[in-house]
Amino acid sequence: MHANSSPQHASTKPPLPGQGGQIGYENTTVTKVPGWHGIIAWDALLNGMAMGLFLAAAVSELAAPTVFMRVAKVAYPVALVLLLVDLVLLVLDLGDPSRFHHMLRVFKPTSPMSLGTWCLTIFSLPLTAAAALSLLAEWGWDFEWARLLAVVVGLLPGFGAAAYKGVLLSTNAQPGWKDARWLGGYLTNSALLMGCAELLVLSALMGQTQAIAILRTAFIVLLVLNVIPLGLLFANLSPIHAQLYTRGQQWRVGALIAAGALIPLGLMLLNGSLLSISVALIFLLADSWLVRSVYVKIPHTSPLGVRSSE
Amino acid sequence: MESREKELSALPQTSDPPRGRLSVLLGRLISPYLHGEARGPVPEVLGRLIYPFLRGEAPKPQQATGFYTDTTVCIGCKACEVACKQWNQLPADGFIWSGNSYDNTNELSATTWRHVKFIEQFSDESSSNLSPLDAINNESPLNRWLMMSDNCKHCVASPCHQACPTGAIVQNEFENIYIQADICNGCSSCIAACPFGVITRSEMGGHSHKCTLCYDRQRDGLEPACAKACPTQSIHFGPIEELREQARKRVEQLHERGVPQAYLYGDVPSETYSEMHSFYLLVDRPSVYGLPDAPFNPWLHMMGDYARSVAGGLAAIAVLLVVVFLLKP
Repeated sequence: MHANSSPQHASTKPPLPGQGGQIGYENTTVTKVPGWHGIIAWDALLNGMAMGLFLAAAVSELAAPTVFMRVAKVAYPVALVLLLVDLVLLVLDLGDPSRFHHMLRVFKPTSPMSLGTWCLTIFSLPLTAAAALSLLAEWGWDFEWARLLAVVVGLLPGFGAAAYKGVLLSTNAQPGWKDARWLGGYLTNSALLMGCAELLVLSALMGQTQAIAILRTAFIVLLVLNVIPLGLLFANLSPIHAQLYTRGQQWRVGALIAAGALIPLGLMLLNGSLLSISVALIFLLADSWLVRSVYVKIPHTSPLGVRSSE
Repeated sequence: MESREKELSALPQTSDPPRGRLSVLLGRLISPYLHGEARGPVPEVLGRLIYPFLRGEAPKPQQATGFYTDTTVCIGCKACEVACKQWNQLPADGFIWSGNSYDNTNELSATTWRHVKFIEQFSDESSSNLSPLDAINNESPLNRWLMMSDNCKHCVASPCHQACPTGAIVQNEFENIYIQADICNGCSSCIAACPFGVITRSEMGGHSHKCTLCYDRQRDGLEPACAKACPTQSIHFGPIEELREQARKRVEQLHERGVPQAYLYGDVPSETYSEMHSFYLLVDRPSVYGLPDAPFNPWLHMMGDYARSVAGGLAAIAVLLVVVFLLKP
């Protein structure tokens, strides 16, 4: 039964449409909105945080092991925890969560969700191994070659797990989403940016001065770089935003997003203390969540014209 | 219509497909679950885990079938809606006054697989100047009813089929798009992908449902319930090539009879969308009927989107590497 349908007595008089009331189907939204709500905004954030942290830690460790090995060994277990929380959200978002394993019945490259599920599943194995071996190394059982092998093996599926999300949310028929050609570019880039920031915080917590110096610079450059795909994404979305929001609403959200990027940038340029790094990360995560949340809301929001006639 | 059913029943039939060797082994392992005799949590969990991985041999391809809906002869009786609900045992949607003509189901949904649309095209001028009888007889483009029985388009390259990550959505042996309800896990990818807004997720089981083109009836040589019930033969069912031929002749006939605006929607592929195995004869723009004017298959963007996604990630990794190599001691 329709969620909004309520049985009425057959003798009830039908409401006649008023002036300007909708008759027929012209100007109605043809597509149906999938049940992807706020949980998906959190999923997109956690996905980026987990994959980004792993990729940033792995790339940094493989490029400069002496500087990053210690912090990377902490980063892998943190990435695993973030991934597990994300997976729980993904399962809960299904219409029938007890059938989550049906995702692994087939491998369909034409389906971004299938590709993403396989990437996540495969990635979870080397990530678990890397996290477990990192923890074991702390307790004296050091299998360094196996840990590094797990890290290298995890690179490709980890990258795939970060890259599929944007394609999943842009390759569809939903208003606005179907035009978001740069969503994937933004989300993958943003994942690495968040990963770099998380690694920076971990380095600061562990007092890794060399790692902090390198990651602080990388974070500043990545923050500036991330503005490019974000700008392109908003250019893609400007026609739908104009239909859904007033100019004032658009300016307010735009100002919040800009502040979420400029405040971390300012903090990083000023100093590299633990406090400013932590505050920068919080602002960055809030900003990243806001962008994802605004995006996920698009098909759920009625156009301004429809809202005003209601 | 009876002779049509006899003709259809003469088509080669498929029985339940035999299972492969591995599936036979797995099937034996979860036999109590398959026969509803699972007692205790272990056989139940084992059954639930293994069941979706059982494989059968694909049925032999049959002649492609579909619907051709001639909206010019639809009288809006909703017999198709009722027949569909009855045959597929779909629950009622309640009774609501939508305020949109005689439409009280509003849309296709998990429980409404046929939806009759009503479009009233009456100008204020014509309705005020003419007597009711004159208004009925004066069927000009500004003084007419349009009715259309809508359903799943069974697209040849269907976005829902491409999107489905579980393999629940298949193109069956009749080249119709079919959702295997026992496999669907309600991920909603198909809902997001469909440009016609056909599929929704049921609130009862959390799974997606839509028109099956009466797969069960077709396998038994029967025509779909809606086509069988249609009193004006607005809904035609049969081999798709025959339907296309029939529809083209009807369009020509209408053009000759002074309806030059008649055309077919979805009978042939466009630059951005495949042909559909349920296509329509319309006499106004598609959007008037609640159809997209130029349907677009979202998968045409997929490779480009992947390229941009990978580029965004690689650019960030390159930056990180450059900074690390430049600044490392």
